[in-house]
Amino acid sequence: MSEKSNNCAAQFQGLANKMKLTQLFFTGLCLLLTTPLYAAWEQPTLGHELTALPKPVAAPGFNLRDMDDEPHSFADYRGKVILLNFWATWCPPCRREMPSMERLYQRMQNRSFVVLAINQMESPDHVFAYTGQLEVVPNFTILFDINSEVSQAYRVNGLPTSYLIDKKGNIRYRAIGGREFDHPNVEQLINTLMNEHE
Amino acid sequence: MRIQLSILLSTFILLASTGSGCAGSADTTKVSIYKNPDTGLLTWTAIADGFSVELIQLLPDFVRAIYAKHGFSPEEIEDIASYCVFGTIIKNTSGKTLTYAVSDWRSIDAGGTEAKIKTKSQWLAQWKKAGINFSWTLLPDVGTFYAGDWQQGFTTVKLPRTSVFDLKFVWQIEGVEHVGKIKQLRCAVPGAGQ
Repeated sequence: MSEKSNNCAAQFQGLANKMKLTQLFFTGLCLLLTTPLYAAWEQPTLGHELTALPKPVAAPGFNLRDMDDEPHSFADYRGKVILLNFWATWCPPCRREMPSMERLYQRMQNRSFVVLAINQMESPDHVFAYTGQLEVVPNFTILFDINSEVSQAYRVNGLPTSYLIDKKGNIRYRAIGGREFDHPNVEQLINTLMNEHE
Repeated sequence: MRIQLSILLSTFILLASTGSGCAGSADTTKVSIYKNPDTGLLTWTAIADGFSVELIQLLPDFVRAIYAKHGFSPEEIEDIASYCVFGTIIKNTSGKTLTYAVSDWRSIDAGGTEAKIKTKSQWLAQWKKAGINFSWTLLPDVGTFYAGDWQQGFTTVKLPRTSVFDLKFVWQIEGVEHVGKIKQLRCAVPGAGQ
């Protein structure tokens, strides 16, 4: 944990013991403190390995809305390579891998490639506030899976989980845990998929 | 800024066999313990054959905060906060396909009594009855990790907060079972300075 957050936790604990704060106040304080505390776990170095599935698997379709409440259908992206990322704001490695997703997105803009980051069970207002705190503001598409139905369809057990989907709509690669997505090896995989015939 | 100079309390190798049927090999788990100088909270990092497990003490109020934020009832919040909860990071360092199931893992108390770890599925079933649909934060029950995969989430152990216990964890690499153990784990105790 970071020094700052641990100090915070210690102070919080001390206050709780000494002052016997009410549950309501606790809850309010918790809401303020939760994200930085949770994010404070010391995290492993991010790798760049994506594992090829033994054979391509048809990616489940979905219809979700973005930050502007605009609808997006999986079918809209047929013919493009998709980096599909499942994430949440409270998930530390999700936060850590986002800048690399943005750099990848910027590098691959105007090509047959998209990044779709599917948030789990959070509101657009909450995510909007969160993205404003990031060092690199994401320009790629963020979608909202309010009931985690899409993540269940993709059999996502934990966050973050990411898939690389080919132009035919098949899942080809998978990564559980955070990654540096702008690594040349990842970019090479994407280029290879983009060069495949539909 | 993160304090770089960690306090390494101990590093040891467990040589005793775990009796797990792991091809008769000794448990060569290397465990290091880090004590946060500010809070006294402890982190155990176990590095074993192709697998690493990191357990981070979490204070009950931290756990309460997480679940209060996600709209849990006070009863459910207090229930999980009554457990010994660790932030857990597991990694496949083998370069091969690795599987694990939390249902294979055991806590072992000072008297040698083994107990199962309450799994994510068990928590979700309980929460579903309480009308809670939040399915994240806990370490997934099972996983198939390819090279470079890793995961994190909470591990919950139902023991008194002052307990000292061991954790036996099990994983498989390409079908071969391995067992590791972290000895003398302790729950985070509020205000105890650990």
